Amino acid sequence: MKKFLLFTSKILVLAIVIAILLDFIYTAVYLQSSNRGKIDQVYNSENENYDVIILGSSRANNHFVSQMFKDKGLKTFNYGMSGGHLFEADLLLKLMIERHYKIKNVILEADLNLTNEHRADGISSKFLPYLHNSKIIKEHFSTEEDFNYLYYIPFYRYIKFDPQIGVREMFFQAIHKGTSHLQNLGYHALKDGKTGNMKNNIVSLKPLNHNKYYEEIKQICKENNINFIAIMTPMCENVVGMNYFEKVQKAYPEIHNYENVVIENKYFSSCGHMNDIGAKMFTARILKDFFPPSSPSPKVRESK
Amino acid sequence: MFFNSLAFAVFLPIVFFLYWFVFNKTKNTQNAVLIIASYYFYSCWDWRFLFLLVFSTFLDYYTGIRIEKSQTQKSRKFWFWLSIIVNLGFLGVFKYYNFFASSFAALLTGVGFKASPFLLDVVLPVGISFYTFHGLSYVIDIYYKRLKAEYNFVDYSLFVSYFPLLVAGPIERATHLLPQVKVKRTFDYEIAKEGIYQLIWGLLKKVVIADTCAAYANAIFDNYPSMNSLSLILGAIYFAFQIYGDFSGYSDMALGMSKLFGIDLLRNFNYPYFSRDIAEFWRRWHISLSSWFKDYLYIPLGGSKGGIWMKIRNTFIIFVVSGFWHGANWTYLAWGFINAVYFLPLLLLKKNRNNIESADLSWNIDSIKVRLNILITFLLSCVAWVFFRAKTITDAVSYLKRIVLNGEFSSQYLSNERYNYELLIMVCLFVLVEWNNRTKIEPISGKYSYLKLILCLTAIIAFGTYSDYKEFIYFQF
Repeated sequence: MKKFLLFTSKILVLAIVIAILLDFIYTAVYLQSSNRGKIDQVYNSENENYDVIILGSSRANNHFVSQMFKDKGLKTFNYGMSGGHLFEADLLLKLMIERHYKIKNVILEADLNLTNEHRADGISSKFLPYLHNSKIIKEHFSTEEDFNYLYYIPFYRYIKFDPQIGVREMFFQAIHKGTSHLQNLGYHALKDGKTGNMKNNIVSLKPLNHNKYYEEIKQICKENNINFIAIMTPMCENVVGMNYFEKVQKAYPEIHNYENVVIENKYFSSCGHMNDIGAKMFTARILKDFFPPSSPSPKVRESK
Repeated sequence: MFFNSLAFAVFLPIVFFLYWFVFNKTKNTQNAVLIIASYYFYSCWDWRFLFLLVFSTFLDYYTGIRIEKSQTQKSRKFWFWLSIIVNLGFLGVFKYYNFFASSFAALLTGVGFKASPFLLDVVLPVGISFYTFHGLSYVIDIYYKRLKAEYNFVDYSLFVSYFPLLVAGPIERATHLLPQVKVKRTFDYEIAKEGIYQLIWGLLKKVVIADTCAAYANAIFDNYPSMNSLSLILGAIYFAFQIYGDFSGYSDMALGMSKLFGIDLLRNFNYPYFSRDIAEFWRRWHISLSSWFKDYLYIPLGGSKGGIWMKIRNTFIIFVVSGFWHGANWTYLAWGFINAVYFLPLLLLKKNRNNIESADLSWNIDSIKVRLNILITFLLSCVAWVFFRAKTITDAVSYLKRIVLNGEFSSQYLSNERYNYELLIMVCLFVLVEWNNRTKIEPISGKYSYLKLILCLTAIIAFGTYSDYKEFIYFQF
């Protein structure tokens, strides 16, 4: 029996050593890669200068056409992340500050994402390879329920979020296989939504009166002299529960309501996401209102 | 509590510790530990069904004794049929009632009558098909005087509810398992070590092969109308490896962990995808079920003796019943029927026992022929698996039709955000490992066992799917 216990102990130790080694290898690969996504690009860069940074979910990623900002002479990158919540937008901004980014304006898409303070696993997991290497990321995750597992159990984070940062993604990171996430200055254009869902019911949505991550983003901008522009972006015409945007306006008067700027379904790919034409119309309006040609710095606009 | 869950990783060492270190004095204490552990294990799914398990155990225990003690044939028959009817009655109510009721209603609707059948809103008790068959084989063996009745209730209960085999087999025979639980087990290092290797290999098959293949197979089967020919072919192959990895992985884990308690279980799989014909495939796939049906259904029906029509009848009965055992759906019946169609020519041409011996393969014409036969047998089984996996027979037929008619063999991006061909390397590697170790129970033992162990552990940690504990397919049967 002693022999057997020794044998099983050896297997256990072997498994732990393998997990530690794999963790080390995966992390090393992620630390040297910067062309797969917006998070690794920010993590592996420093001292970037931007006139405009766009943050938010897919409703930022698909709605702000960065090239139109660039055409106006504004160095811009759209860091909106499809599926992301404010948890991730906040962390990405913190990471930029940690990386000594010089940013003049932050445009934050703040509307449907004000309903929760949860992390979006699909996006937040992409920060996890850097958990042991970035104080900011560690602190941001420290209040999460599974933080101890993620931080202390070797390789656990790669197992738990295998589809996002597991072996396949690690392999592509290792061979520096690019993605489309960083093309078009981060903007992702959507096609016409002939097959998309043009109905939406948001009656059950309720904005939090004091969203922790929204407030943090606001605070970071204030502390770093960044002009903060929060915007509600358009929805299609068949939305039930449109008073949600009024509720947001009431709780956060500083958020600019652009929900009604583009309405017709032909400008949408799905109900919550405009197509490329809609996005261009919307961006033109944002540029006109906040970055008029005559104005050297962005115009501070009263909310509607 | 699944074998691949964290809870089980805690449960197993605790039971092991209690079994060998605390209650190891007599076989009674050893059996008591295993019984309590087994009932706890079963109650983790739904404690209410524990009563069903205990009742079923008691019924077969009692009727077994009554059959043996009966003085008249009439009395023997009474107790025998009581056990058969009650056992099959439970199975019928829980597993098949809704199927028959809705099929009958559909039939009535088809001929113009309006029918709204009364359907039961019950969950299928996990493992009911397995423990019912344990009990049935025991009672049948006593009735035919092949076995003496067991008078020790604890020993008998352990035979029925021993946790490694309780929910998904292998379907044990009393003649094999009961003698083992009737003696005190002593620890054997070599056997326990072999058990650990088998457990690890089974885990690898489940979390690396089966669960990864499942993601691809599901993405293809669930969207088959938009898939091209290549994706559909790959989908069938991925499902073939999913079900093999899932079920044989489970069996390996069950056999492996049982060795840790000094109990040997029946082998359930013997590299079935390396079979040279369908008859050999059925001698290698789910061996405990195939042999159960052979001994308790096929042979009593007359087997392959008698005239040609009797052979055909018996073949179809055994395969269709076997299909139906898997679940109450026409797709399982179709799967059984197709296998019967595959098997019948071999039986009628008396070639069903051609490939009993293992083949000695080299690079001559005969060996190439053997390899070709293996490939053909595998492809035939893949076609049958399409019926097993599809939701309806219409879906299965449309799936196969599309493979032929679509004619596109390009790469395709699937709903699981992967390309259809991405898994092929892993599947090929797995086949290669199994092929090179096809004479062994598992590939880890032997030369360079530590190196192979490291590779297996690395694969389990790095390539395993753990996002949720995926249920074993055969739990639903």
